[in-house]
Amino acid sequence: MTPILQVKALTKQFGGLVAVNDVSFDVQPNEILSVIGPNGAGKSTIFKLISSFLRPTRGEVLFKGERISGLAPHIVARKGVVRTFQETTIFKGLTARDSVIVAHHLRSRASLIGYYCETGFARRDEEAFGRSSDEILDFLGLGEVKNEIASNLPHGHLRALGIAIGLAASPQVLLLDEPFAGMNHEETSHAVGLVRAVRQRGVTVLLVEHDMAAVMKISDRIVVINFGSKIAEGTPAQIQQNDRVIEAYLGVEDESIGF
Amino acid sequence: MSRPLRLAGLAVFLLAVFLAVPLAIKAAGRTDFYYTLSSVALLAIASSGVWLMFYIGRINIGQGAFALMGGYVSAILVTSAGFSFWLSLPLAGLFCTAVSILVGLPILRLRGVYFAMVTLVLTEVARLLALALPITNGAKGITSIPAPGAIGAFGITLVPAFDTFAERNIAFYYLSTIMMTLCFAALYRLVHSRIGRIFVAMQQNEELASSMGVNVPAMRILAYAISSFLGGVAGAIFIAIAQSIYPSSFTVNDSINFMLNCFVGGLRYVFGPMLGTLVLYFGWDLLFAIGEYQLLIYSGVMVLLMLVLPNGLLSIRFHSWQRSSHKT
Amino acid sequence: MEQVVANGLYLGAQYALVALGLTLIFALMNVLNFAHGQMYVLGGFVTYEIYGQLHLPFVVALLASAITLAVLGGLIERFLFRTVIKRSVREESTMLLAAGIAYFLDAVILLLFGEKQRGVPKIVSGVLRAGDIIMPYDRIVVGGLAILFIVGFILMMQYTKPGRAMRALAQDRIAAQLMGVPVEFYSFLGFALGAMLAGLVGGLLVTITGVNSGIGGPISLKAFLMVMIGGAGVVGGAIAGGFILGMLESVGLTVLHAYGDITYLVIFAALLIFLAIRPNGLMGKPWG
Repeated sequence: MTPILQVKALTKQFGGLVAVNDVSFDVQPNEILSVIGPNGAGKSTIFKLISSFLRPTRGEVLFKGERISGLAPHIVARKGVVRTFQETTIFKGLTARDSVIVAHHLRSRASLIGYYCETGFARRDEEAFGRSSDEILDFLGLGEVKNEIASNLPHGHLRALGIAIGLAASPQVLLLDEPFAGMNHEETSHAVGLVRAVRQRGVTVLLVEHDMAAVMKISDRIVVINFGSKIAEGTPAQIQQNDRVIEAYLGVEDESIGF
Repeated sequence: MSRPLRLAGLAVFLLAVFLAVPLAIKAAGRTDFYYTLSSVALLAIASSGVWLMFYIGRINIGQGAFALMGGYVSAILVTSAGFSFWLSLPLAGLFCTAVSILVGLPILRLRGVYFAMVTLVLTEVARLLALALPITNGAKGITSIPAPGAIGAFGITLVPAFDTFAERNIAFYYLSTIMMTLCFAALYRLVHSRIGRIFVAMQQNEELASSMGVNVPAMRILAYAISSFLGGVAGAIFIAIAQSIYPSSFTVNDSINFMLNCFVGGLRYVFGPMLGTLVLYFGWDLLFAIGEYQLLIYSGVMVLLMLVLPNGLLSIRFHSWQRSSHKT
Repeated sequence: MEQVVANGLYLGAQYALVALGLTLIFALMNVLNFAHGQMYVLGGFVTYEIYGQLHLPFVVALLASAITLAVLGGLIERFLFRTVIKRSVREESTMLLAAGIAYFLDAVILLLFGEKQRGVPKIVSGVLRAGDIIMPYDRIVVGGLAILFIVGFILMMQYTKPGRAMRALAQDRIAAQLMGVPVEFYSFLGFALGAMLAGLVGGLLVTITGVNSGIGGPISLKAFLMVMIGGAGVVGGAIAGGFILGMLESVGLTVLHAYGDITYLVIFAALLIFLAIRPNGLMGKPWG
C-alpha cells in the first residue's frame, strides 16, 4: 500500500538548536498513527513541519507522492492535510456553529465577489455549510452547545470543537495536536471514541500526544521521538517492549506510562 | 438587530443627514457647520479604512500617508494634466490601492506594535516624499486647485459645477455625506458577508484560519487595499475642499487621530468610526472656545473616556442589550 | 570621518537611553508608550527650571528630572494603564490610552512652560581637540553620563532582585506570577523606571540642544525607530538601535547634506527594506 503521507529525513534547526533530526516515517491510509515522546522531544515541531507551518531545514514531507513541505499552510490544507491546534486556539468570539461554518471555507465554490454580493452560489454554500456543520457537531457530541460562544465551552467540548473545525475542512489526513491533553479518564475514553469515529469516516489520523494510556489504546502504530530523533516505530505492543523507549521515559515523573 | 429596525435606522439616518441637518443649519445661520460636517464625513471615511484593518487584527497608523497620496494624485491630475476632478477621484483611490499592495506585501506579515510602528513611519515617509519630489512641488505645495466641474451626460447636467453653487460648502457637504453613506453601506455589507466572517476569523486567530484553507496573506492585502482606497478618496475630496495641498496636509497626528476615532466609537462596530469621528472632531471644534486649554480638556476627556469606556462609545448600547438577553 | 563617528557615538548613547526606557515598558507591559517623547521633554523642562532658572547644581536638577518622571510614570501606570488593561477587550486599547496621555502631556507642557525654545548654560565649557576630532567637553560629559546610566541599568537588570524580577516578568508573565513575582508591582516599577530614563535624557540633552514643547512627538517617533531597528522588548536591541540611529543621523547629516533634507527619508526607506527581511528587528521578540 502506498503511504498517504511520507516524512523523509525531516530536519529542523533553530539557529544552533537541532529540534528535529533526520526523522523519517510513513503513514498508511486510514490508519491512526501516534507520535509520542518525552517533553521537549520535538513532537510539536514535527507536527508543524508536516502541516507546513514551519519550513524544514532539510528533508521533505510528501502527501500522496507530492511534496507539501515548504508550501503555504493554507495550500497544504487545501490539498487535504489539516491540522488542529491545542485547546486555547479557537475563535474565541464566535459560536461553535459559526466556527465550524467558517471552517468549511475550503468547500466553497462561490468567488470572493460572490461572497460579497451573496449570489446564488454563495447562499447555497452557506446553507450547505450550515447543514454540514450541524452534522459534524452532532457527530462529535456537540449538538447541544452549538450556539454557545466558543470561549464559554468547557475544556472537553473545546477539544471536540477543534476536531470539528478540522473535519469541516474535508481532510484526508487530520493532524491532531494533543487531543487528550488535560483530560480525566472519562473524558479521555470519550475522546478516544471520537478519534475512532473520525477514522471511520475515512480520514487518516496522525496525532501527537503525551497520554500514553490513550495512545496505546487507540493507535495502529506509534512513532517515538526523543531529543529530536526517532528512536522507535511499531505497533503498541512492540513499543511497549522496546528498551530504548522505556529508557527514554524513565526518570520522568508524573508520566503515567500505561504499561 | 431585526430587519425592520435596521431599515428604520437607515431611514432616520438618511433623513437626518440629507434633510434635517441642512434645514437646521439654515435656521441657525451657521453655514460654517457645512465645512465642519464635511470634514467629519471625510475623516470618517478615512477612519473606516483604519477600522477595517483593526477588523483583521492590524493596527494601522498610516492612513494619513494614503490621504496625502490621494490628495496629491488628484491635485496633480487636475492641475497639471487637466483631468476632471470626478475622474481623478477613483484614480487617486486606485493609485493608493496599488501602493498599498506593494507596501503591504512585505509589511502585513508584521503584527501588533511592529506593524503599527511601520505604518507610523509610512506617514512620515509620505510627507518627506512630498517635500522632496519635484512633481509634488515640495514645500510650496499645489495651490489654486479649481473646484470640481460639472458632470453631464447627453447634454443633461447631472451634477452642476461646484462654483455655480451659492454656497460651495453645501455642494461639498452633499458630496462628502453621500460618499460617507456609500462607504459605510459597502463596509456594512462586507462585514456581514462571508468575507467579513473570514476577516473575523483572521483577527481572532490567523493560524487557525490558515489551517482551514484561508489564504491569509491574500486576504490581508485585500483589506489593506480597501483601506487605502478609502484613505485616498477621502484625501482627494478633502483637498478639493481646501483647494490646496501641502506636505503637511496630513501628518502623523492625523494618522493617530484616525485610529483614535475608531477606538472612541468602538472597534467592534462598523459605525464606530463614524460616531468616533463626529465626537472627536466636533468635540475638538467646540472646545476651540476655551482657547489655550483646548488640548488639555480634549485629551483629558479622551483619557477619561478610555478609563470609563475602554471598548468605545457604542459598547454602552450593546452592553445593556446583552445583559437583558443573556440567559444563564 | 572620525568626527562623524564621535558625533554618532555621543548621539547614540543618548538615543540608546531613550530607547531603553521605551523597550523596558514594552517588555513588561506590551504597551507602546506613545508619550515617551513628552516624558523626555518634561525632563528637559524640569532641568531647565531647576538648573537654568533656579541655578541649583546640575546634578540636583538631573535628580529632580529623574524623580519627577519616575513619579509621573508610576502614577500613570497605577491609575491609568492598570485600569484600562483590566477592563478592555482588545489589547490595542492601551495604545489609545498612551496616545491620549501623549496629547495630555503635550497640553500640560505647553501650558506650564510655553512654546519657546529653552536652553541652559553649558555644564562644562571648553572643547577637546584630539587629532581631527573636535568635541565640546559638555558633550563628552553628557555622553559619558549616558553611558554610565546605561551600564548602571544593565547591571541593575542583571544582578539586583528587582532587575531579575522584571526580566522574569518580561520573558513570561504567567510563569513569573506562578513563581510568586508580584507582577503588578513590577509593572508599576518598570513603567516608572522607563519614564525616568526618558526624563533623564531630556535633562541631559537640554544642556546641549535645549528643549521646546513641540519636540515630544518627533522624539517618540525616533524612539520607535530605534526599537524597530533593534527589536522591541530586548535591552541589547534598544542599545543597538540607539547607537545605529545615532550613527545614521551623524553620517546622514554630513554625507547627505548636499542633497537636502533627505537623511530621514533614506533612513526610513532603509528601515522598511530592513524590516521586510527581518521583521522583528535585530534581536526582537515577536509580538502575539
